[in-house]
Amino acid sequence: MILIAIVIGCILGAVIGIYAPMVPYTYSGYLAIAIIAALDSVFGGIAATLNKNFDLKIFVTGFFGNAILSILLTYLGQKLNVDIYLAAIVVFVGRMFNNLAIIRRYYLNKWPSKKEENKNETEKSK
Amino acid sequence: MQKKQIAITLGIMCFALTMAIVIQLRTVYSSTSTVPQVLVEDSLRDEVLRWKEKYDNTYGELTESTKRLEEIRKLATQNDITSMAKQQEITESNMLLGLTEVTGPGFQIILSDNNTGITSEGNKVLDISSQIVHYDDLLQVVNALNNAGAEAISINGHRLVQTTAITCEGNIIKINGQRISSPFTIKAIGSPATLSGSLTMIGGYLYIMQEDGVNVQTSQSDSLVVEAYNGVINYKYIKLKK
Repeated sequence: MILIAIVIGCILGAVIGIYAPMVPYTYSGYLAIAIIAALDSVFGGIAATLNKNFDLKIFVTGFFGNAILSILLTYLGQKLNVDIYLAAIVVFVGRMFNNLAIIRRYYLNKWPSKKEENKNETEKSK
Repeated sequence: MQKKQIAITLGIMCFALTMAIVIQLRTVYSSTSTVPQVLVEDSLRDEVLRWKEKYDNTYGELTESTKRLEEIRKLATQNDITSMAKQQEITESNMLLGLTEVTGPGFQIILSDNNTGITSEGNKVLDISSQIVHYDDLLQVVNALNNAGAEAISINGHRLVQTTAITCEGNIIKINGQRISSPFTIKAIGSPATLSGSLTMIGGYLYIMQEDGVNVQTSQSDSLVVEAYNGVINYKYIKLKK
Protein backbone atom coordinates (compact mmCIF):
# COMPACT_ATOMS: atom_id res chain seq x y z
CA MET A 1 0.00 0.00 0.00
CA ILE A 2 2.70 2.46 1.04
CA LEU A 3 4.93 1.33 -1.81
CA ILE A 4 2.13 1.78 -4.34
CA ALA A 5 1.42 5.28 -3.04
CA ILE A 6 5.13 6.18 -3.34
CA VAL A 7 5.36 4.85 -6.91
CA ILE A 8 2.17 6.63 -8.00
CA GLY A 9 3.41 9.86 -6.38
CA CYS A 10 6.77 9.60 -8.14
CA ILE A 11 5.24 8.93 -11.56
CA LEU A 12 2.69 11.74 -11.19
CA GLY A 13 5.40 14.11 -10.00
CA ALA A 14 7.69 13.28 -12.91
CA VAL A 15 4.92 13.70 -15.48
CA ILE A 16 3.75 17.02 -14.06
CA GLY A 17 7.34 18.16 -13.60
CA ILE A 18 8.03 17.65 -17.31
CA TYR A 19 5.12 19.89 -18.26
CA ALA A 20 5.55 22.40 -15.44
CA PRO A 21 7.03 25.83 -16.22
CA MET A 22 10.79 26.09 -15.76
CA VAL A 23 12.35 27.86 -12.80
CA PRO A 24 14.56 30.85 -13.62
CA TYR A 25 18.22 29.93 -13.32
CA THR A 26 18.80 32.35 -10.43
CA TYR A 27 16.24 30.49 -8.29
CA SER A 28 17.31 26.98 -9.26
CA GLY A 29 19.95 27.08 -6.52
CA TYR A 30 17.20 27.46 -3.88
CA LEU A 31 15.21 24.65 -5.45
CA ALA A 32 18.28 22.42 -5.40
CA ILE A 33 18.89 22.98 -1.69
CA ALA A 34 15.18 22.33 -1.01
CA ILE A 35 15.42 19.05 -2.92
CA ILE A 36 18.43 17.99 -0.83
CA ALA A 37 16.52 18.82 2.37
CA ALA A 38 13.45 16.90 1.20
CA LEU A 39 15.54 13.88 0.17
CA ASP A 40 17.12 13.91 3.61
CA SER A 41 13.65 13.92 5.20
CA VAL A 42 12.52 11.01 3.04
CA PHE A 43 15.52 8.88 3.94
CA GLY A 44 15.05 9.84 7.57
CA GLY A 45 11.43 8.75 7.30
CA ILE A 46 12.37 5.40 5.81
CA ALA A 47 14.99 4.81 8.49
CA ALA A 48 12.44 5.74 11.17
CA THR A 49 9.88 3.32 9.70
CA LEU A 50 12.44 0.53 9.86
CA ASN A 51 13.19 1.38 13.50
CA LYS A 52 9.45 1.44 14.18
CA ASN A 53 9.50 4.94 15.65
CA PHE A 54 7.98 6.69 12.64
CA ASP A 55 5.91 9.75 13.53
CA LEU A 56 3.87 11.30 10.76
CA LYS A 57 3.82 14.77 12.35
CA ILE A 58 7.59 14.90 12.71
CA PHE A 59 8.02 13.60 9.20
CA VAL A 60 5.69 16.15 7.55
CA THR A 61 7.02 19.12 9.49
CA GLY A 62 10.59 17.97 8.83
CA PHE A 63 9.92 17.60 5.13
CA PHE A 64 8.51 21.08 4.59
CA GLY A 65 10.26 22.80 7.49
CA ASN A 66 13.74 21.72 6.47
CA ALA A 67 13.13 22.62 2.83
CA ILE A 68 11.84 26.10 3.66
CA LEU A 69 14.47 26.72 6.32
CA SER A 70 17.29 25.72 3.98
CA ILE A 71 15.93 28.05 1.28
CA LEU A 72 15.76 30.92 3.78
CA LEU A 73 19.29 30.19 5.01
CA THR A 74 20.62 30.12 1.46
CA TYR A 75 18.93 33.43 0.76
CA LEU A 76 20.37 34.92 3.95
CA GLY A 77 23.81 33.60 3.02
CA GLN A 78 23.59 35.23 -0.37
CA LYS A 79 22.66 38.55 1.24
CA LEU A 80 25.53 38.25 3.73
CA ASN A 81 27.94 36.95 1.08
CA VAL A 82 28.55 33.75 3.06
CA ASP A 83 28.01 30.36 1.44
CA ILE A 84 25.60 29.07 4.08
CA TYR A 85 24.15 26.58 1.60
CA LEU A 86 27.44 24.67 1.85
CA ALA A 87 26.78 24.07 5.55
CA ALA A 88 23.23 22.98 4.76
CA ILE A 89 24.50 20.54 2.13
CA VAL A 90 27.10 19.12 4.51
CA VAL A 91 24.50 18.58 7.24
CA PHE A 92 21.83 17.12 4.98
CA VAL A 93 24.12 14.85 2.99
CA GLY A 94 25.83 13.70 6.19
CA ARG A 95 22.47 12.78 7.67
CA MET A 96 21.49 11.13 4.43
CA PHE A 97 24.52 8.86 4.69
CA ASN A 98 23.65 8.06 8.31
CA ASN A 99 20.10 7.15 7.37
CA LEU A 100 21.28 5.10 4.40
CA ALA A 101 23.66 3.25 6.72
CA ILE A 102 20.75 2.48 9.09
CA ILE A 103 18.65 1.20 6.19
CA ARG A 104 21.54 -0.89 4.86
CA ARG A 105 22.26 -2.46 8.25
CA TYR A 106 18.61 -3.27 8.74
CA TYR A 107 18.43 -5.22 5.49
CA LEU A 108 21.88 -6.76 5.97
CA ASN A 109 20.77 -8.13 9.34
CA LYS A 110 17.55 -9.38 7.83
CA TRP A 111 19.04 -11.12 4.80
CA PRO A 112 21.13 -13.97 6.36
CA SER A 113 18.42 -14.83 8.88
CA LYS A 114 15.91 -15.23 6.09
CA LYS A 115 18.26 -17.61 4.29
CA GLU A 116 18.70 -19.66 7.42
CA GLU A 117 14.94 -19.84 7.93
CA ASN A 118 14.51 -21.09 4.40
CA LYS A 119 17.20 -23.71 5.00
CA ASN A 120 15.54 -24.84 8.20
CA GLU A 121 12.21 -25.14 6.44
CA THR A 122 13.64 -27.24 3.63
CA GLU A 123 15.43 -29.49 6.14
CA LYS A 124 12.25 -29.93 8.09
CA SER A 125 10.28 -30.90 5.03
CA LYS A 126 12.88 -33.54 4.24
CA MET B 1 -6.67 4.07 8.84
CA GLN B 2 -3.24 5.00 10.16
CA LYS B 3 -1.54 3.16 7.30
CA LYS B 4 -3.77 4.79 4.71
CA GLN B 5 -2.93 8.22 6.06
CA ILE B 6 0.78 7.49 5.95
CA ALA B 7 0.52 6.18 2.40
CA ILE B 8 -1.31 9.28 1.20
CA THR B 9 1.14 11.68 2.85
CA LEU B 10 4.10 9.75 1.53
CA GLY B 11 2.56 9.77 -1.93
CA ILE B 12 2.04 13.53 -1.82
CA MET B 13 5.59 14.07 -0.61
CA CYS B 14 7.10 11.89 -3.28
CA PHE B 15 4.96 13.74 -5.79
CA ALA B 16 6.34 17.09 -4.62
CA LEU B 17 9.90 15.76 -4.47
CA THR B 18 9.98 14.21 -7.93
CA MET B 19 8.28 17.25 -9.42
CA ALA B 20 10.93 19.51 -7.91
CA ILE B 21 13.74 17.21 -9.06
CA VAL B 22 12.43 17.05 -12.63
CA ILE B 23 11.96 20.83 -12.79
CA GLN B 24 15.48 21.32 -11.47
CA LEU B 25 16.93 18.86 -13.98
CA ARG B 26 15.20 20.63 -16.83
CA THR B 27 16.41 24.01 -15.60
CA VAL B 28 20.00 22.80 -15.31
CA TYR B 29 19.89 21.13 -18.74
CA SER B 30 18.40 24.12 -20.49
CA SER B 31 20.77 26.73 -19.10
CA THR B 32 24.49 26.79 -19.60
CA SER B 33 25.79 27.13 -16.08
CA THR B 34 28.90 29.15 -15.31
CA VAL B 35 31.32 26.25 -14.96
CA PRO B 36 30.74 24.78 -18.44
CA GLN B 37 30.89 28.31 -19.85
CA VAL B 38 34.42 28.74 -18.52
CA LEU B 39 35.35 25.35 -19.94
CA VAL B 40 33.92 26.26 -23.34
CA GLU B 41 35.78 29.54 -23.28
CA ASP B 42 39.04 27.79 -22.39
CA SER B 43 38.69 25.25 -25.14
CA LEU B 44 37.87 27.99 -27.66
CA ARG B 45 40.94 29.92 -26.58
CA ASP B 46 43.04 26.78 -26.94
CA GLU B 47 41.68 26.26 -30.41
CA VAL B 48 42.47 29.81 -31.42
CA LEU B 49 46.04 29.40 -30.17
CA ARG B 50 46.39 26.11 -32.01
CA TRP B 51 45.14 27.65 -35.24
CA LYS B 52 47.46 30.60 -34.77
CA GLU B 53 50.39 28.24 -34.34
CA LYS B 54 49.33 26.28 -37.40
CA TYR B 55 49.01 29.50 -39.36
CA ASP B 56 52.45 30.65 -38.26
CA ASN B 57 54.00 27.32 -39.21
CA THR B 58 52.32 27.31 -42.59
CA TYR B 59 53.32 30.88 -43.19
CA GLY B 60 56.92 30.03 -42.37
CA GLU B 61 56.76 27.16 -44.84
CA LEU B 62 55.34 29.46 -47.47
CA THR B 63 58.14 31.96 -46.96
CA GLU B 64 60.71 29.21 -47.28
CA SER B 65 59.06 27.83 -50.39
CA THR B 66 59.01 31.26 -51.99
CA LYS B 67 62.70 31.62 -51.27
CA ARG B 68 63.43 28.20 -52.77
CA LEU B 69 61.36 29.06 -55.83
CA GLU B 70 63.37 32.22 -56.24
CA GLU B 71 66.61 30.25 -56.07
CA ILE B 72 65.41 27.64 -58.51
CA ARG B 73 64.32 30.37 -60.91
CA LYS B 74 67.70 31.98 -60.62
CA LEU B 75 69.47 28.69 -61.30
CA ALA B 76 67.23 27.84 -64.22
CA THR B 77 67.69 31.19 -65.88
CA GLN B 78 71.39 31.54 -65.31
CA ASN B 79 72.46 30.84 -68.86
CA ASP B 80 69.50 32.24 -70.70
CA ILE B 81 69.37 35.96 -71.38
CA THR B 82 65.64 36.21 -72.22
CA SER B 83 64.57 34.19 -69.17
CA MET B 84 66.97 36.20 -67.07
CA ALA B 85 65.20 39.34 -68.21
CA LYS B 86 61.86 37.72 -67.38
CA GLN B 87 63.18 36.77 -63.95
CA GLN B 88 64.26 40.34 -63.39
CA GLU B 89 60.80 41.49 -64.37
CA ILE B 90 59.11 39.10 -61.93
CA THR B 91 61.33 40.22 -59.07
CA GLU B 92 60.67 43.86 -59.86
CA SER B 93 56.92 43.32 -60.14
CA ASN B 94 56.84 41.53 -56.81
CA MET B 95 58.77 44.38 -55.27
CA LEU B 96 56.34 46.94 -56.65
CA LEU B 97 53.35 44.86 -55.53
CA GLY B 98 54.72 44.84 -52.01
CA LEU B 99 55.29 41.09 -51.87
CA THR B 100 58.93 41.38 -50.87
CA GLU B 101 60.73 43.13 -48.06
CA VAL B 102 62.30 46.32 -49.34
CA THR B 103 64.83 48.73 -47.96
CA GLY B 104 65.91 52.26 -48.74
CA PRO B 105 66.17 55.75 -47.31
CA GLY B 106 63.01 56.87 -45.63
CA PHE B 107 61.07 58.49 -42.86
CA GLN B 108 59.66 56.87 -39.73
CA ILE B 109 56.80 58.23 -37.64
CA ILE B 110 55.61 56.91 -34.29
CA LEU B 111 52.15 58.10 -33.26
CA SER B 112 50.75 57.19 -29.87
CA ASP B 113 47.70 58.15 -27.85
CA ASN B 114 48.18 60.80 -25.20
CA ASN B 115 46.19 59.83 -22.15
CA THR B 116 47.24 62.72 -19.91
CA GLY B 117 44.68 65.20 -21.23
CA ILE B 118 47.25 68.00 -21.48
CA THR B 119 48.24 69.70 -24.74
CA SER B 120 51.82 70.42 -25.84
CA GLU B 121 51.48 73.93 -24.37
CA GLY B 122 50.50 72.54 -20.97
CA ASN B 123 46.83 73.46 -21.10
CA LYS B 124 44.01 71.10 -20.28
CA VAL B 125 42.45 69.70 -23.42
CA LEU B 126 38.74 70.28 -24.06
CA ASP B 127 38.07 67.10 -26.00
CA ILE B 128 40.20 64.12 -25.01
CA SER B 129 39.23 62.43 -28.26
CA SER B 130 41.47 64.85 -30.16
CA GLN B 131 44.53 63.36 -28.41
CA ILE B 132 43.82 59.84 -29.62
CA VAL B 133 45.07 58.53 -32.95
CA HIS B 134 42.04 57.77 -35.12
CA TYR B 135 41.90 55.81 -38.33
CA ASP B 136 41.36 58.94 -40.36
CA ASP B 137 44.58 60.35 -38.89
CA LEU B 138 46.38 57.34 -40.32
CA LEU B 139 44.60 57.84 -43.65
CA GLN B 140 45.64 61.49 -43.75
CA VAL B 141 49.26 60.66 -42.90
CA VAL B 142 49.39 57.91 -45.53
CA ASN B 143 47.84 60.24 -48.08
CA ALA B 144 50.38 62.95 -47.29
CA LEU B 145 53.23 60.42 -47.53
CA ASN B 146 52.01 59.20 -50.91
CA ASN B 147 51.65 62.79 -52.04
CA ALA B 148 55.27 63.39 -51.05
CA GLY B 149 56.44 60.49 -53.17
CA ALA B 150 56.61 57.56 -50.76
CA GLU B 151 57.32 54.32 -52.60
CA ALA B 152 56.56 51.79 -49.87
CA ILE B 153 54.64 52.31 -46.64
CA SER B 154 53.93 50.03 -43.71
CA ILE B 155 52.03 50.61 -40.48
CA ASN B 156 52.97 48.41 -37.49
CA GLY B 157 54.48 45.89 -39.89
CA HIS B 158 51.46 45.76 -42.20
CA ARG B 159 52.47 46.72 -45.72
CA LEU B 160 50.12 49.01 -47.58
CA VAL B 161 49.35 47.52 -50.98
CA GLN B 162 46.79 48.48 -53.61
CA THR B 163 44.03 46.52 -51.86
CA THR B 164 44.76 47.84 -48.37
CA ALA B 165 41.92 49.41 -46.44
CA ILE B 166 42.31 51.24 -43.16
CA THR B 167 39.06 50.90 -41.26
CA CYS B 168 37.65 51.77 -37.89
CA GLU B 169 35.94 48.87 -36.05
CA GLY B 170 34.57 50.28 -32.84
CA ASN B 171 37.59 51.16 -30.76
CA ILE B 172 40.20 49.35 -32.84
CA ILE B 173 41.77 50.07 -36.19
CA LYS B 174 42.10 47.40 -38.83
CA ILE B 175 44.65 47.31 -41.62
CA ASN B 176 44.52 44.51 -44.20
CA GLY B 177 41.85 42.98 -41.98
CA GLN B 178 44.19 42.75 -38.99
CA ARG B 179 43.84 44.66 -35.76
CA ILE B 180 46.43 47.18 -34.75
CA SER B 181 46.57 49.59 -31.87
CA SER B 182 48.54 52.52 -30.53
CA PRO B 183 51.48 53.15 -30.80
CA PHE B 184 51.49 53.22 -34.57
CA THR B 185 54.85 52.96 -36.31
CA ILE B 186 54.58 54.25 -39.86
CA LYS B 187 57.54 53.58 -42.12
CA ALA B 188 57.81 55.09 -45.58
CA ILE B 189 60.55 54.74 -48.15
CA GLY B 190 61.21 57.82 -50.24
CA SER B 191 63.19 61.02 -50.01
CA PRO B 192 63.54 61.52 -46.23
CA ALA B 193 63.69 65.30 -46.46
CA THR B 194 60.60 65.60 -48.69
CA LEU B 195 58.56 63.17 -46.63
CA SER B 196 59.57 64.83 -43.40
CA GLY B 197 58.98 68.32 -44.69
CA SER B 198 55.56 67.66 -46.14
CA LEU B 199 54.25 66.38 -42.82
CA THR B 200 56.05 68.41 -40.19
CA MET B 201 55.92 71.82 -41.81
CA ILE B 202 53.70 74.40 -40.14
CA GLY B 203 50.19 73.39 -41.15
CA GLY B 204 51.34 69.88 -42.07
CA TYR B 205 49.31 67.03 -40.69
CA LEU B 206 51.81 65.89 -38.08
CA TYR B 207 52.24 69.50 -36.96
CA ILE B 208 48.49 69.74 -36.40
CA MET B 209 48.42 66.44 -34.53
CA GLN B 210 51.28 67.52 -32.31
CA GLU B 211 49.45 70.76 -31.56
CA ASP B 212 46.41 68.71 -30.51
CA GLY B 213 48.60 66.83 -28.05
CA VAL B 214 49.10 63.47 -29.77
CA ASN B 215 52.54 62.02 -29.07
CA VAL B 216 54.48 62.27 -32.35
CA GLN B 217 58.04 61.06 -32.85
CA THR B 218 59.75 61.27 -36.21
CA SER B 219 63.11 60.13 -37.49
CA GLN B 220 64.81 60.12 -40.86
CA SER B 221 66.85 57.11 -41.85
CA ASP B 222 69.17 56.10 -44.66
CA SER B 223 68.28 52.44 -44.57
CA LEU B 224 64.73 51.79 -43.49
CA VAL B 225 63.32 48.27 -43.88
CA VAL B 226 59.66 48.03 -44.91
CA GLU B 227 58.05 44.64 -44.37
CA ALA B 228 56.48 42.53 -47.11
CA TYR B 229 52.72 42.14 -47.46
CA ASN B 230 51.85 38.92 -45.66
CA GLY B 231 48.43 38.35 -47.18
CA VAL B 232 47.28 37.04 -50.51
CA ILE B 233 46.07 39.34 -53.26
CA ASN B 234 42.91 37.79 -54.66
CA TYR B 235 41.18 38.79 -57.85
CA LYS B 236 37.92 37.55 -59.23
CA TYR B 237 36.60 40.14 -61.65
CA ILE B 238 39.51 41.81 -63.39
CA LYS B 239 40.72 40.49 -66.76
CA LEU B 240 43.20 41.72 -69.30
CA LYS B 241 41.61 43.86 -71.97
CA LYS B 242 42.46 42.63 -75.44
